[in-house]
Formats: sequence, C-alpha cells, structure tokens
Amino acid sequence: MRGVVYYIERDLLRWIRGKVNVVSSLAMPAAWLIFVGLALPIKFTDNYLDFITPGILVMTMLSAGLSGGTLLMFDKILGFLNKFLALPSPREDILFGKILFTSLRGLIQSTIILVIAVLIGATIYSPVQYGFTYLILFLFGMLLSAFSTTLALFLEDHDSYAAVNAMISMPLFFTSSALMPYSVMPSWLRFVASLNPLSFAIDAIRAVNTGALPIQQIVSLVVLCILITGISTQVFRRMTVQI
Amino acid sequence: MNAIETRDLTRYYGTLRAVNRLTLSVDREVFALLGPNGSGKTTTVLMLTTLLRPTEGSATVSGHDIVRDGEKVRRSLSYVPQDMAVDIKLTGRENVLLYARLYGIKNPKDRIDELLAMMQLTDRADDLVKTYSGGMRRRLELAQALVHEPEVLFLDEPTLGLDVAARSTIWEHITALKKGGMTIFVTTHYMDEADRFCDRVGIISKGTLLALDSPQTLKSRLGNDVITARIDGEFKDPDLEGVKLFSFSNNEASFLTEKGREALPHLADAFTKTGVIVRSLALREPTLDDVFLHTVGKVEEPMGFDQTKFRTMLRRRK
Repeated sequence: MRGVVYYIERDLLRWIRGKVNVVSSLAMPAAWLIFVGLALPIKFTDNYLDFITPGILVMTMLSAGLSGGTLLMFDKILGFLNKFLALPSPREDILFGKILFTSLRGLIQSTIILVIAVLIGATIYSPVQYGFTYLILFLFGMLLSAFSTTLALFLEDHDSYAAVNAMISMPLFFTSSALMPYSVMPSWLRFVASLNPLSFAIDAIRAVNTGALPIQQIVSLVVLCILITGISTQVFRRMTVQI
Repeated sequence: MNAIETRDLTRYYGTLRAVNRLTLSVDREVFALLGPNGSGKTTTVLMLTTLLRPTEGSATVSGHDIVRDGEKVRRSLSYVPQDMAVDIKLTGRENVLLYARLYGIKNPKDRIDELLAMMQLTDRADDLVKTYSGGMRRRLELAQALVHEPEVLFLDEPTLGLDVAARSTIWEHITALKKGGMTIFVTTHYMDEADRFCDRVGIISKGTLLALDSPQTLKSRLGNDVITARIDGEFKDPDLEGVKLFSFSNNEASFLTEKGREALPHLADAFTKTGVIVRSLALREPTLDDVFLHTVGKVEEPMGFDQTKFRTMLRRRK
C-alpha cells in the first residue's frame, strides 16, 4: 500500500502548484456561504448561517469529489495510466490513491470554508464535534470520489464527464436538506431529500452540532462508501486488464 | 532463454484481428517493429507489457509468462508509451523519484543522481518539467524507465515529434543501453532510424508479421538497385524484363532491378513509347523504405481513427 502514498503525493504537488485551481474551487461555496448564508431573509431560524454551514461544507465536498474523476480521466488520456499500470506495484494503488487524494483535497477545502464561516459569525463547536464533522465529511468525500472515479473509467472523454457532472451536481444539492429543514419542505421534496446521500451527511453534521451522535447516518455512509469503493475496484480491475 | 519470446500471439478487438499469430524471439538487441498505422504494433507492445491480455497464444518476457506472472514481468521491464507522459508541474528529479519509490528502489537519491547525469539532465534536474524541451522530456522518461535496471525496455515511437538532434541523442542512449546487455523493443515509423540503429526489424501489416531480419539482409534481398521515375501523363507499367514495379503514387513510380545502369535507358524508351513524359529518373540503392513499401504495399488508413491520439498530437504542436 506504500504506492498509495506516492500517488497521493504526486497529485498533491500538482494540485498545489496549479495555483488558480486551488482558489477557484473555493469561490462557489464561499459565495454561497456569504451571499446566501448572511443575506437570505429566513423565518424558521434566527441563525441561518449556522443552519447552512453544514450544507455548504457538504457542497464543498460534493464539488471536490465530483471533480476528482478528472484526475484519472487525464491520466488515462495523457498516457500516465499506462505507464503506472506497467509498474510492478499493485495496480489498485492507483485507484485508492485517487480516491483518497480527492477526499483529502475536499477536506482541505472544507477547512478553509469552515474558517470563513467562523470569521463571518458561525458558532464555534468543541473539538470532538469538529472531529465527527470531519469524519462525516471524509466518508462522504470517499463516497463521491469513488463514484466520480468510476464514472471517469467508463466515459471516453472529458466533455462527457463534465456534462454528467454538471447534470447531477446541482439537482443533488437542491434536493438535499442543505438549504431548509424538512419541516418547511413540500412533501414531495421531503421524500426526495430523505433519500439523498447529501442529506445523510448534512443531517449528521447538524446532529453533531446539537450534541447528538448520528449513528444511523454514519453507518449508512460507511455502508455506501464500502459498496461504491468495492464496485469501483471491480470496474478498475476489469478496465485496466482488458480481457 | 530469450528476453522476449512470443508464440502465436493473437489479439482480437471484437471481430477485428489486431495481431495475428505473432511468433518472435528477441534477445539482447535493438529490435524494431515497423508497420503502418493500425497494423498492430502498439497492441503487441501492450500485450507484452501486460496491459492487454492476448486472445490466443502466449509470450514470455525474461522467462515469465505475460498472463500468469504479470507482476514478475512488470518487474523486469519498462514501458515508455508514445504520449510523452511526464508531470510538467513537477521537477525532473521529482518525476524520477516517483518511479524510484514505486519500484521500491533502495537509496533512491544516488540512483536518481546517476540517471539524471547519464541522461545529461543534472543541470536542469530541479527545474519544473514545464520548461523542458521535447528531447529533454523524452530523456527524462528514459531516466524513469531505467530506474530499476530493467532487462527489457519497450519504447513506443521514442523519437516521435523530436527534432533531428534530439532524435540522434535518444538513439545514442538506446545504443549504449544495448551495449550494456539490455534488450530494447521499439516501434517506429521512421525507417531511416530503424535502418541505422536497429539490429533486426520486423515488418507487420494488418496484424501479420510479413518480414523479419536485419535491415541489411532485407535490403539485399530486395535486389541491387532501385529506380525511381517521376512522370507526367497516364502511367502504365512498362513491364520490362528484369525491371519490377513495386510502388506507384503521386506520379512517382519505383522499380526494382538487378542492373540499374543498363535498365535506365530501356525504361526511358519504354515510357516515351507509351506517351508518358519522364520528368526525372534516379538510380539508388534500396532503402528500408523500399523494403517496407514492397512488403506492405500501399495500405489504406484503417477506419478506426483514434481521437485520443489525434488530440495528443494536436496538443504537442502548440
């Protein structure tokens, strides 16, 4: 498994040195946090910023996770993948490296968003609560990056990958519990939102913030994570040693 | 035991037969697989480097079976694809370090210094690869490939897109590696390079190996002389005795003959009789290009146009 670390280090260096990328990916969630979190006239709570912050953190992980597939996509297109596959180190290391790096990158971005939230007035929680928040975000990030990496394996070119991403990311966000509590949703949205994996993560973080331990949501995320990573591994094996 | 041994190696893509019963032994030499686009060169390399499973047949690299002992095969070889895949946001040293670690090299620092020096990249080792020329990037790829001292080196179009000086540097390195006892398997389009630097060449077309020998033998088997005629007008093979037409395209006809000097005037006469205007006649020794055209004939571009490859080429032009 040492290979995983080396692959992560490679992607990390490439990411940090592409300065524009690092900043631009933060613009969207930061804008949501400031312009929606602080400005929207909301009646159901008097601290909307505290309500929306978990949603924006999960949104940050969502876009980080969904964009993660491009890494493998470009390694495939540009010939890196073939070079790595011809190495004696375990081939799955390439896949796990991508999934872990994408999740890690999401966590770094989420941290910056969290700092911005606190700076503009969000409540500060205890270290244990933040610990659980990070665990939940990490699980969610793994789930998303395993999914997007699998997608990248299936799709032939970057355009179709970007199109699929654009198609799913906004609907996923709006049909989750990110922006409003279940109590004020129309009933059809309440049903959709309760099945949306984004809501699992958002609800879990909100529960943690109230001092509860959301066992059910965490278990759901772990199960989904294992399932999707398992499928991803199978697809990767089949795609890389073409029979 | 030969470094590379294939037996009836066959690969189908659906119903298309990309490689057809390829049987080949390569050992401690520079071997080039030549063929038109889509002839099965890259498919062969992908199978030998365990990136693609053969449909039928078998092959060994350094004595290890490519299907059963994939990991051992990968341990004894290195593969440099034609895409020039080096990380431009990493330095030269970092690029090599990644491979040294992935191969589990002990004391990677010394080994990397040694390789960078060998590839004349020491001065630029800590610059980002973004600033490297094409030739430097290719040498960096060689440094990556040599990090674990492989027994067999696979190079897919190693000089594609490089200038003349960079090409000859790459070939110098390849020749030096062979002298050190390495087996080098290249695919190339450049016949002159194959002729000058390869010990043996195989010519493959539509997946079938049509010729296999040293460039010298292949050329001498073709005959003594080649006559090339540039003509205007309706071309018709003059059909002279001892003068054999083997290629005609773009108003240029090429003939094989044993006695070129004597054949020249006859050929000119024959053309004039059929009302064809001869622009020029040239007499020369056969080249590997002639061997190639003679063996493969005029081949149409295959239908399956590779979008990815085309894009990569476009990118490179910038």
